Amino acid sequence: MSKIVWDALGEHFYETGVDHGVYYGYDSTQNAFNNGVPWNGITAVTESPSGAEPSPIYADNIKYLNLISAEDYAATIEALTYPDEFKISDGKADIATGVVIGQQTRKIFGFSYRTLIGSDTEAAGTAGYVIHLIYNCTASPSEKSHNTVNENPEGATMSWSISTTPVDVEGYKPTATVEIDSRTTPAAKLAQLEAILYGSVSSDPRLPFPAEIATLVGAA
Amino acid sequence: MAQNRLRSKRLRLDNYLKTLTPNVYFQPPASIMMSYPAIRYRRSSIDANFADNLPYQATAVYELIVIDRDPDSDIVEELSKQPKTIHVRHYTSDNLNHDVFRTYV
Repeated sequence: MSKIVWDALGEHFYETGVDHGVYYGYDSTQNAFNNGVPWNGITAVTESPSGAEPSPIYADNIKYLNLISAEDYAATIEALTYPDEFKISDGKADIATGVVIGQQTRKIFGFSYRTLIGSDTEAAGTAGYVIHLIYNCTASPSEKSHNTVNENPEGATMSWSISTTPVDVEGYKPTATVEIDSRTTPAAKLAQLEAILYGSVSSDPRLPFPAEIATLVGAA
Repeated sequence: MAQNRLRSKRLRLDNYLKTLTPNVYFQPPASIMMSYPAIRYRRSSIDANFADNLPYQATAVYELIVIDRDPDSDIVEELSKQPKTIHVRHYTSDNLNHDVFRTYV
């Protein structure tokens, strides 16, 4: 038996910030998200899940059933720049050195980023962090505004709307997102996973699928 | 040690201002005797755009004061045409015209 305690010292957790953006190109020959490259200048990632809409069914003069629709995952990435490798996912193609055309086929990609956990006793990032993985992303065309340089110079923020196709997870419904919380993931396993995601002296960065992550980290 | 970009940008500004008048003073002490026309300037802030949880792009903001007996100063005319520079206000003090500019470098 234990009594509930609210807001105990060191448990005033909050989530903030966004960094460590990584773009993973899709390798169709290996059916994998390889070739991770840093995505610098990330200013925001806005998650926009949808679905899970209730559809009530009435019978016998009562609410008989509540059917729930499937969930979909979408997001918006905002950044001051993007890696060159992202161009093929943004409908661009190089037709000559330095010459880029638009409106081409958009290639799917994987994306990861990190948010920081802070608390009343630990600074943001020291208390922990969450690594967010997104699979099978497709970037939609988006508005880009180019403005004159004025007396208050600011870099133009670009944004991309991302839709996703879920990947299979054995024993669960397909998903397009995985979150890894450093506070609860065993440190040694987390280090191995980060070596896969961010690369190491012996391996290039790549985005493992959920099944591989589950096998690596171990049973929940 | 990495190059001090703040200093190198400020010196570039200083060199440009000296093309307008040789009497350029960076954060001068109150006791200094200035010759006119003069440009007195100081750094007022460093503006930052944040990304990746860091100041991703930082821009130093300088306040320039053109001090000239001529109310239609050529220096003011020239500074008004510069990019990333805006005229803030004009006032007179001790029979000298003061034109305050803000510039981002």
